[in-house]
Amino acid sequence: MLKFSRNKLVGIARKDPDTLQVHGVLDDDLYGLEMEISVRLSDLKLLSVLGKWNHWTTPECQKALSFIDQAEGFCIDEEGLEQKIQKTIGRKACRHFATLLIECCDAVKEAVKIIRWEEARAKHPELTFEEFLNSGLQDPSGSGIPHHHSAGASRLQVSPEPIRVLDRTKDEGSVPKRASGGMVIDIHTHSYPASSCSSVSEDRLIEEAKRIGLDGICLTDHNYVWNPDRVKELSQKHGFLVLRGNEITTDQGHMLVFGLDANIREKGIVKLDELRREVEKADGFMIVVHPFRGFLIFGVEQLGLNLEKAMERPLFKYVDAVEVMNGKVTKEENDFASEVASGLGLPGIGGSDAHKESEVGLYATRFQGSIVDEKDLIDRLKSGKFSPVSFRKA
Amino acid sequence: MTDILSFSRNRCTSVEIIDDQIIKSSCHLQDTLTEAFVEITAQLPDLEIVAAKGDVRRTYRKECLDSTESLQKVIGVRIGPGMLEITKGLLGENTECKELIFMVQECCHGVILSLTKDILLKAPEDLEGKTEFFSEMVRNNIRLYNRCAAFAAGSRLVEGIEPP
Repeated sequence: MLKFSRNKLVGIARKDPDTLQVHGVLDDDLYGLEMEISVRLSDLKLLSVLGKWNHWTTPECQKALSFIDQAEGFCIDEEGLEQKIQKTIGRKACRHFATLLIECCDAVKEAVKIIRWEEARAKHPELTFEEFLNSGLQDPSGSGIPHHHSAGASRLQVSPEPIRVLDRTKDEGSVPKRASGGMVIDIHTHSYPASSCSSVSEDRLIEEAKRIGLDGICLTDHNYVWNPDRVKELSQKHGFLVLRGNEITTDQGHMLVFGLDANIREKGIVKLDELRREVEKADGFMIVVHPFRGFLIFGVEQLGLNLEKAMERPLFKYVDAVEVMNGKVTKEENDFASEVASGLGLPGIGGSDAHKESEVGLYATRFQGSIVDEKDLIDRLKSGKFSPVSFRKA
Repeated sequence: MTDILSFSRNRCTSVEIIDDQIIKSSCHLQDTLTEAFVEITAQLPDLEIVAAKGDVRRTYRKECLDSTESLQKVIGVRIGPGMLEITKGLLGENTECKELIFMVQECCHGVILSLTKDILLKAPEDLEGKTEFFSEMVRNNIRLYNRCAAFAAGSRLVEGIEPP
């Protein structure tokens, strides 16, 4: 028996020489909605976008309808259309309307090919669709569902040595007071534009970390290798300990990596075992972050996920530590990660995973002794002399 | 101009529970230009993809012909947060067929929505009970705050809940 089914239907008619009328329907066990869209053929702009609910879940879903028209003016073939729809319609209105709108826009792209081909056939009656596509007569706007990788920030290059951000003698005055009794560092933060999902610059992140009394901060942007000279410059500019790491997307989830300078993502999504080999070669340190993010939403019972089964996940064999306090997941998810780490005898770290200023230092890691540079950080991580702390709320 | 359609599309995603360990999710696409099918099998409790297959029966895209072998790349991936980036990355290295990647993602979404359905079936019928049920859902999963109009500031579902 089927447990769930979703049907999406899109029909496109040419209402006049320059207007396409698009009707989209999404109907599944949970949601039923429709969209009526008109598109100007000459520039592929959405002229009007209307939505309608047929069935929904929460008592407030109707509010979504007042935001649907924010897609008016979007252009079917513009760069990053899918993300734009997700950010506006998906976040402000409802992600199911965003899903349907993306489907409709993709269908329009296909419809336009057929329309252009039919127009070309008026002059060349023998022209087949395939010949037309290969002829260069088609609209060059591309095809297929748009999956635009964010251009993001530039991928920076390899540095031969771990950076020394603070001179041990010269800058002693800038090392926080707690250095002798340990240091609290937020080792998981994201800055913009290095992480396109972040909304805060590295300068603001650092200023905030300093303001709330942290002893240091690590910039760990997604699949981004910070230039050591730039990090050193930031550290000196703010008189504050700034370190760097890299949050790498693997086939088994996100990993925080320290000490790896090579841009591992040039090959695309990296396999976890391959990343492990690279980290070992570089004598670095690897931490699995938010390992159960979103996994407990359904309830442990529903998935049948228990501690024993969670500990059997192969990924834990490849990491040196587990993030057991992450600022972007629920308490239950953090607690579960903590139990798993404890069961496996893996050390736990804390990090805010900050994507905005107010999130810096929600959680952090307390290290024994003093840390003044990346080498110290990796040494301390390898020594296991650290513990996760709740900082900002404490 | 007439009301005769220039283009039509029908995409159906279905989820079937095979047993208490196995979920199958399939996506069928049929439109004026393309006909394709993708099926993934996921295993509980990790929702790990243990099998994937597909068939592109009709297409004008050369890159989609013989592209289904690349589906094997998603085996081992867990369905959950981050899956879109991972599946796109793994499949994108092996095929230029964006439609195939999209259909895998539709299958994954189907699995998640099928599990969400179990939770939503527990929602009370009356407005007050429903409001409390969804408020509690946001409290327990604060990431939901501001995720959509229903959970944005000003909605009764997030009254009294501190934004993250």
